[in-house]
Amino acid sequence: MIPVRCFTCGKVISTEWEEYKKRRDAGEDPRVILDDLGLERYCCRRMLLTHKEIIDDLNPYQ
Amino acid sequence: MDIAFSRLESEVAKFVLSESIPAFANSFRRTMISDVPKLAIEDVIIYDNNSALFDEMLAHRLGLIPLKTNLSEYKKKSECSCGGEGCSLCESVYTLSAEGPCLVKSSDLIAQNPDAAPVTGEIPIVKLEKGQKVVLEAHAEINTGLEHAKWQSTLACGYKTYPVITIGDNCDACGHCADECARHVLKLAKKSVEVIDGKLIDCSMCKLCEKACVGSGWEDAAIRISSDNTKFVFVVESDGSLPVKEIMTYALTDLKDKSDSLVDVLTNISGAL
Repeated sequence: MIPVRCFTCGKVISTEWEEYKKRRDAGEDPRVILDDLGLERYCCRRMLLTHKEIIDDLNPYQ
Repeated sequence: MDIAFSRLESEVAKFVLSESIPAFANSFRRTMISDVPKLAIEDVIIYDNNSALFDEMLAHRLGLIPLKTNLSEYKKKSECSCGGEGCSLCESVYTLSAEGPCLVKSSDLIAQNPDAAPVTGEIPIVKLEKGQKVVLEAHAEINTGLEHAKWQSTLACGYKTYPVITIGDNCDACGHCADECARHVLKLAKKSVEVIDGKLIDCSMCKLCEKACVGSGWEDAAIRISSDNTKFVFVVESDGSLPVKEIMTYALTDLKDKSDSLVDVLTNISGAL
């Protein structure tokens, strides 16, 4: 799952994940999406930029 | 001492604190970060959890959810009349019950006191597959950032000293400094470079312009960057649990109370001698 807050500054970034993922998968430039979402600092930007969702890979092994 | 706001919204404030000293600016910043109390989930009683996340992980994620805080409504557990056992005056209770397939969000967290509900209902907590279930009860309490970062109501909270740019008479308007400036603070005028109106505050005091000036042949740089130690440019951001204005007022009152009690202690000691 996407971390609730940015590790460095503490801004809640998990709320933006769904929209980020949808728009990134549609082929939009991550830089434009992050600017649109109002993520100004590079600490918050890397949270979304470098996230890999693995919960769907884990679920079969419950 | 004077504060001039350039921006004041419920979640962001930018202001210049002037006629002050570095010690005050820093204690103000530190008080805002670590001494302003807010609500955050501390205890979680898990009745059922067969999701992909461990109980600890779930509790950790719940703790980080910002909750709307009314400071007059709750007091710290250690200062409460219940003696730290937990009562309606020092605790806010939430229940969560969800069955997959679904994405559990912070809006599924049902608060007994609607005034202390999560700031946003859109925070994903856990994704459940068919047959997975999460049932829990969470208790939020008031504390400060000194104890744990989840009780810290500010995000970016910091200051820099006010930049001062002096351009000497020996400037030949070569423009190298203006090209070098990463924040685009300088522009080329007829006889020398100038600071663009309203851009001075953006200067990060990196001194790249000074280096460019020396590099262009001058032994002594015509442009000099220094800072005014009595003026501070502040940025304060809130996570939404408290408005920035309340964070600032609380921090200032707290700082005043602390210095008052220090004066009291000092008077007592000097009186006893």
